[in-house]
Amino acid sequence: MSGLELRNIAKNYGAVSVIKGINLTVADGEFVALVGPSGCGKSTILRMVAGLEDITDGDILIGEKVVNELTPRERNIAMVFQSYALYPHMTVYQNMAFNLELSGKSKAEIETRVQEAARMLELEPLLDRKPSQLSGGQRQRVAMGRAVVRAPAVFLFDEPLSNLDAKLRVQMRGEIKALHKKVGVTSIYVTHDQVEAMTLADRVVVLNRGVIQQEGSPMELYRRPANLFVAGFIGSPAMNFFEATIAGGAAQATNGLRFPFVAERQLVDGHKVVVGVRPEHFASGDGAMEGEVTFVEPTGGQTFVTLDLAGHQTMVLVSSDEDIFAGNRLSVSAPLERTYVFDAETGVRLSAN
Amino acid sequence: MSQTSTIDDVPVRATSARHVRRKSNRVRGTLPVLVLFLPPALLVFTVFVILPMGEAAWYSFYNWNGYGLPTEWIGTKNYEIIFRNGAFRQALINNGLIIAVSILIQIPLALWIATMVTHRIKGAVAFRLLFFLPYVLADVAAGMIWRFVYDGQFGLVAGIFNAFGMNAPFWLADKQVAFYAVLGVIVWKYFGFHMMLFVAGLQGVDKSVLEAADIDGATGWQKFYRVTLPMLGSTVRLSVFFAVIGSLQLFDMIMPLTGGGPSNSTQTLVTFLYSFGVMRMQVGFGSAVGVVLFVICVVLAFSYKRIFMKND
Repeated sequence: MSGLELRNIAKNYGAVSVIKGINLTVADGEFVALVGPSGCGKSTILRMVAGLEDITDGDILIGEKVVNELTPRERNIAMVFQSYALYPHMTVYQNMAFNLELSGKSKAEIETRVQEAARMLELEPLLDRKPSQLSGGQRQRVAMGRAVVRAPAVFLFDEPLSNLDAKLRVQMRGEIKALHKKVGVTSIYVTHDQVEAMTLADRVVVLNRGVIQQEGSPMELYRRPANLFVAGFIGSPAMNFFEATIAGGAAQATNGLRFPFVAERQLVDGHKVVVGVRPEHFASGDGAMEGEVTFVEPTGGQTFVTLDLAGHQTMVLVSSDEDIFAGNRLSVSAPLERTYVFDAETGVRLSAN
Repeated sequence: MSQTSTIDDVPVRATSARHVRRKSNRVRGTLPVLVLFLPPALLVFTVFVILPMGEAAWYSFYNWNGYGLPTEWIGTKNYEIIFRNGAFRQALINNGLIIAVSILIQIPLALWIATMVTHRIKGAVAFRLLFFLPYVLADVAAGMIWRFVYDGQFGLVAGIFNAFGMNAPFWLADKQVAFYAVLGVIVWKYFGFHMMLFVAGLQGVDKSVLEAADIDGATGWQKFYRVTLPMLGSTVRLSVFFAVIGSLQLFDMIMPLTGGGPSNSTQTLVTFLYSFGVMRMQVGFGSAVGVVLFVICVVLAFSYKRIFMKND
């Protein structure tokens, strides 16, 4: 096992720069998720680590060894693909044994290791089947089995759960977490689903347009987003934003909405900002702001309420014990310590939290 | 013995009765469709396929020059002559050779080039077109062109030999070499077609599977042999099928190239049929050759499909 380091990694396609100087260190055994919208470069980074994509600049180190010039097979990594990428003409056993066979392991060792991995992933009854005879979830487990069996230095996951239905995705998420706990291999997990990233990873790296926006533990990103992008990306449902101007130490939005907040530093009046409040942080009931309920989405435990707050369509999360209907009036307040304020121009957070 | 039925077999009977009813309903439902749509197709097929074949089989038992009605019944004599005929045996061997060269040289060559022109390299599409062009060319034109190329006095081959100060050979006139020269033209003419089949097959191979093989540690050759080729299995089997059937039909290119000569050394089954049946006004004999060719084609095609393509 070994850690991984990216030093100033860049990737250009002709004149287009898709990765702009990424620095990232992944400790031995750590589980890091790269998350971002489509086209942010997260898969490209993963493919560069795998050796499937050349790097334009920088260094990739696996276990303190620069691997820039090494082919994928020389890097001792294993990858789980979005499409599973199983060999359709081979049985599950052959799929899992392929790497060991190519590296010249003895038949007995291959048998032991494949059986062990199959036991770990509950694949034993499926070993003689072809991929076409398996369900999506089973295929995904085989793809993981193929990765586990070779005991690699680094695990790479490229959106491995995107092709599964919602229920199976939750189940497989649990299995991936359990697997990581068991084998403890350094893992990089690419996803566009921030819930997946937050539930699985020790550390989440948020990317946008080839640049790291913020990295930290899932709760750190949730509680103290570095900028507007991270604030909007992390958290589900997404944070509400209000354009505002600083006036008398508070943020003054249009139509009389006023958000007091704890500022990190003194801000001058007239400074253009964006106020962010998460739907779950609004306190409903006796509040400073009142609006008409335009839309109600009950989800069971909680109800998503869309509120017309002085012309701003705002989502508020309320307990499902409260009976709320479209057309009702609801008053809410944004707690001081949960009100985020960002610079309208740079997007950088200006509030203390 | 009790006459009562057990609880278990009641549903079985009920099910089978339902099954029979459903089946008879289905037959009743399809009957008007059959009555309406089958006769035209059956008529066309009978008039243009079954009858001529039956007629050819009938003529093959006559000594008949094609004029008037066949009257001289000679039984299986035409068939006996065919199998004693050296030129026919040569044609059979030649067809076998064409199949062998197609499978051993043409298809591997087509596959190799297909793997190269499937990559996103510069000019891949132009190369694909270039390699496919000979196939687009009419067989007769290709035969004519290569007749000139091989010409020992004025052709390209002559030019090359002369450039090195050597006397140019007349390959098409040498019965030891002529058929190999013809085989060269066949490979040149048809490998583009097989290449296109493989290009289509390769484009259907999931790129991430090949990347998975890269990560699994497969070298270029291992990746091809262990992953790409098995995934192209159905395309390879189809390609071989076309090569076999194509070789049995080879005619148009041979005629302008060699006409089956010299000394029948480049005959194929169809040129033999044409030269010995049609040109010599031996319609009865030609029909017998046609029947033999038909039987070979049917046996080869059906057994190949049954043995190798049963899962495709």
